[in-house]
Amino acid sequence: MGILLFITVLLIAACGLIYELIAGTLASYLLGDSVLQFSTIIGCYLFAMGIGSALSRYVNRGLAYRFVWIELMLGLIGGFSSALLFLAFAYTQGFQLLMYALVVVIGVLVGLEIPLLMRMVHESYHFRDVVAHVLTFDYLGALGASLLFPILLVPRLGLVRSAMLFGLINVGVALWSTFLFARQLPSARVLRGLCLAVICGLGIGLAQAKRITAAAEDNIYADEVILARDTRYQHIVLTRFKDDIRLFLNSHLQFSSRDEYRYHEALIHPGMAAVPAPRRALVLGGGDGLAVREILKYPQVESVTLVDLDPEMTRLFSTHPMLTSLNGKSFLSPKVHIINTDAFPWVDSNTDSFDFVVIDFPDPTSYSLGKLYTTAFYKAVARHLSAQGLMVVQSTSPMFARDSYWCIVETLKQAGLKTYPYHVYVPSFGEWGFVIASSHAYSPPTLLPTGLRFVSAAGLPAMFQFPPDMSPMPMPPNRLNDQVLVRAYDQDWKDISH
Amino acid sequence: MRTTRRKFLQAGSAALVGFSVKADRRIAGGFVNDSFQFGHLLGDRAQFPPPRKTEKHVVVIVGGGIAGLSAAWRLHKRGFRDFVLLEMNEQAGGNSRWGENEVTACPWAAHYVPVPGPKATYVRELFEELGVLKNGVWDERALCFSPQERLFLYGRWQDGIEPAIGLSDQERDQFGRFEEQIHRFRSSGGFTIPMESGLSGEQANLDRMSFGDWLNQRGMSSRAVDWYMNYCCRDDYGAVAAGTSAWAGIHYFASREPEDKGPLTWPEGNGWIVRRLLERVGTHVKAGQMVHRIAKKASRYSVFAGDTEHQAEFVIFAAPTFLAPFIVEGVGPLHDFQYSPWLTANLVLERLPASYGSDPTWDNVVMNSPTLGYVDATHQSVQNHVERTVWTFYWALAEGPAASNRRLLLEKDWTYWKEAILHDLEWVHPDIRTCVSRVDVMRFGHAMARPVPRAIFSEERRMLAQLDGRLQFANSDLSGFSIFEEAQYRGVRAAERVLVHVSGSHEPSTRAGRK
Repeated sequence: MGILLFITVLLIAACGLIYELIAGTLASYLLGDSVLQFSTIIGCYLFAMGIGSALSRYVNRGLAYRFVWIELMLGLIGGFSSALLFLAFAYTQGFQLLMYALVVVIGVLVGLEIPLLMRMVHESYHFRDVVAHVLTFDYLGALGASLLFPILLVPRLGLVRSAMLFGLINVGVALWSTFLFARQLPSARVLRGLCLAVICGLGIGLAQAKRITAAAEDNIYADEVILARDTRYQHIVLTRFKDDIRLFLNSHLQFSSRDEYRYHEALIHPGMAAVPAPRRALVLGGGDGLAVREILKYPQVESVTLVDLDPEMTRLFSTHPMLTSLNGKSFLSPKVHIINTDAFPWVDSNTDSFDFVVIDFPDPTSYSLGKLYTTAFYKAVARHLSAQGLMVVQSTSPMFARDSYWCIVETLKQAGLKTYPYHVYVPSFGEWGFVIASSHAYSPPTLLPTGLRFVSAAGLPAMFQFPPDMSPMPMPPNRLNDQVLVRAYDQDWKDISH
Repeated sequence: MRTTRRKFLQAGSAALVGFSVKADRRIAGGFVNDSFQFGHLLGDRAQFPPPRKTEKHVVVIVGGGIAGLSAAWRLHKRGFRDFVLLEMNEQAGGNSRWGENEVTACPWAAHYVPVPGPKATYVRELFEELGVLKNGVWDERALCFSPQERLFLYGRWQDGIEPAIGLSDQERDQFGRFEEQIHRFRSSGGFTIPMESGLSGEQANLDRMSFGDWLNQRGMSSRAVDWYMNYCCRDDYGAVAAGTSAWAGIHYFASREPEDKGPLTWPEGNGWIVRRLLERVGTHVKAGQMVHRIAKKASRYSVFAGDTEHQAEFVIFAAPTFLAPFIVEGVGPLHDFQYSPWLTANLVLERLPASYGSDPTWDNVVMNSPTLGYVDATHQSVQNHVERTVWTFYWALAEGPAASNRRLLLEKDWTYWKEAILHDLEWVHPDIRTCVSRVDVMRFGHAMARPVPRAIFSEERRMLAQLDGRLQFANSDLSGFSIFEEAQYRGVRAAERVLVHVSGSHEPSTRAGRK
């Protein structure tokens, strides 16, 4: 019995430590400030253990019976603690309350374990040996757990499954104790039945753990996530609510299917319809194929070249039925040539000329994206414009990021281009801005493709009017060696969110 | 019971600090471009074989660093073709040598040129020729991209290298007063690039004390100020402030106008300039030619390199001047030329390491590290997405006697330096070992002239710099410190002087036959 008993001590010590580490890690992940989280959790946990130890003196009879019950409850509560905390964070306001409650309950139970166990065996051994052996194995268990946790458990199993695995160990100890202390137990059969039930519960939990984490993550997006993919370059998420499909790249909304036609009609037609014979078009960015869909409305177009960094993005929008119905299978047109590469080096090395160039990149949220909004980049793009050619640049919101918008306009001017800024209202984005730029004068077209839902010849001139709250701001240009745009953009959005 | 458990709980959370324990990569690499052996060969001249061939040139340039290449550039640009440049190493470029691998080109040492002011006319002329300066506007792609520099201090990164966060009022005041002093020195006109044009006896007293003493006397030595001043001395001179002439310390700050956002830089650093120069004069350059003796015979010089005797009417000695007593017959021992030992390394990174949430910059410096940090070779790429990159790591062995640091460079093996470098980087990139696949280390025993007190106004230095005869000295160490602009200036000046002599003693048409 000796060695089995001490292995029991080792296992329960490991379980106790793991639950505490899980609570600390989860709180650090989700709330930040790991020093505060670990300190308060360790404090609460130790204090609760003290309460457990103090309470152990009131347990007078049926020590083995109560020990088995404690292990069962620890297995159940500890095993599901991580899953409960994840779900609580995603769906409720009470994450911290639940976390400290769980820490206290687990702490009390763990605090009860060792004193009870020592009393159960004190008759078979000298007191001196009991203390020495129990504490030795308590040490070893804790050491094992503290090493396993960061090296194996967190990277391999994750927090939800680690908790469940150790819950299973606690219940295992309960089950095994019913045999170990069979003589001291009046109703071993009932207890064994309960153990098996909890083992089943945890087993199912272990198998479904991925679903639990996914459910928790889903709730961070408002709608149902229909597709989530990590590519080499970005995190792509598609959501759907009724008929509204939304695309997020790195958590930034790219379009909502309910109003994207406003954005894409406004991006393409004011410029493209003004080109007398647009035969060759170039799209930089725009891997969703929606800009290409609009470009293909011009029958004169002979070829559309699309340069987008992420092959996974263009593949999705070429093959996923829900997405190809959105972009009208634009990527399947024989006129369209997709090139998956970095835009700036491509623009530098390619020598083709185009009648219409669309620059549709994500907003300048980083210095690396900011390079695609510099005088150097626009000069390089301008070399691709044919004699009648125009380019259009998606230029963030002149309302929410007014400095940024006018900085982009100034950058195009400093690149030696004439600029024609305009803006439209897109409900899911708010007020949105674009700039047409070219080396020759531009005037809004009077004839547009048929079947447009938003842009009309009559409505065009108004788009080029800026009311006082969006009117031009004096801004320096954005240069590779002085990326004022990235800092302005950061400041613009900070001003709004505060 | 309680205490034992508490200990374990604490140990458990401590283990979390090293949260993701991943296997380290196997790191390849070794020493590259070692040139110690050449120096040691010079100690024993007997081993050099007698010449088997003789070549005749009007001009022989010794040394293919920036000074030598600039002399060649000037001769060539003036239509003069009868010259040869002898370079000891297999690759020309000196401190502007570069490397290249499947990821990117990268510098081995000098990696930028500050945007030159109006007085640096030769530098501006070169950059106009190379298309970097067009109609008074600098090429945006040659200027260092945003974000340029960052400093790690107090557990976080800040923009720029001069400490700006966590300063005490005292430190703020000291930085302010320092700025005022520098402004005064700048407007005095005595601190210029090239240094020769502004050098004035009025400031000679500054050369007699150390920069460290000068700062101390003015009460400008609080922790952050002291660190920054020492960093600047280590960065430009490979020396500590206490071992740098106050004149040189001030020159670092006062010689440059608040400039266009720069500096000028390229993936391979100043190697880009070397490449352009080699495109022009490369056919005149003979690499792997160690000059071991220069002797005067009547009015001609014989320059011995390998198995060849190069007979020349003029010699431009552009190699480090301290080598002259070992090579040039008739040059006695020199006392005022001291040099700083350096170590650089190129690290190949398979991915970018974590970095406390800050955007990577071009130049990355860590406060209180003995090293100078690292520069990212792909920073000047216009690519949006960079996966692999190369970092050039800089380490001036500035503390302690230069001789013992040189011995340390020689004695310690590659593993020692690799570990020292990774250890230094781990402070700011805890997962660096999982990212680096290769560390190549280059050791420089005499990397750059060290402007110790009295070096700038040294009579010996002045005399060699002004020599104007059939033997001319041209290394940047004649300015007292090694920067691109001084090296180029010295090289061009030597070439111009030679051209004056040549046109005086020869018919220009026989030498200046244009193609």
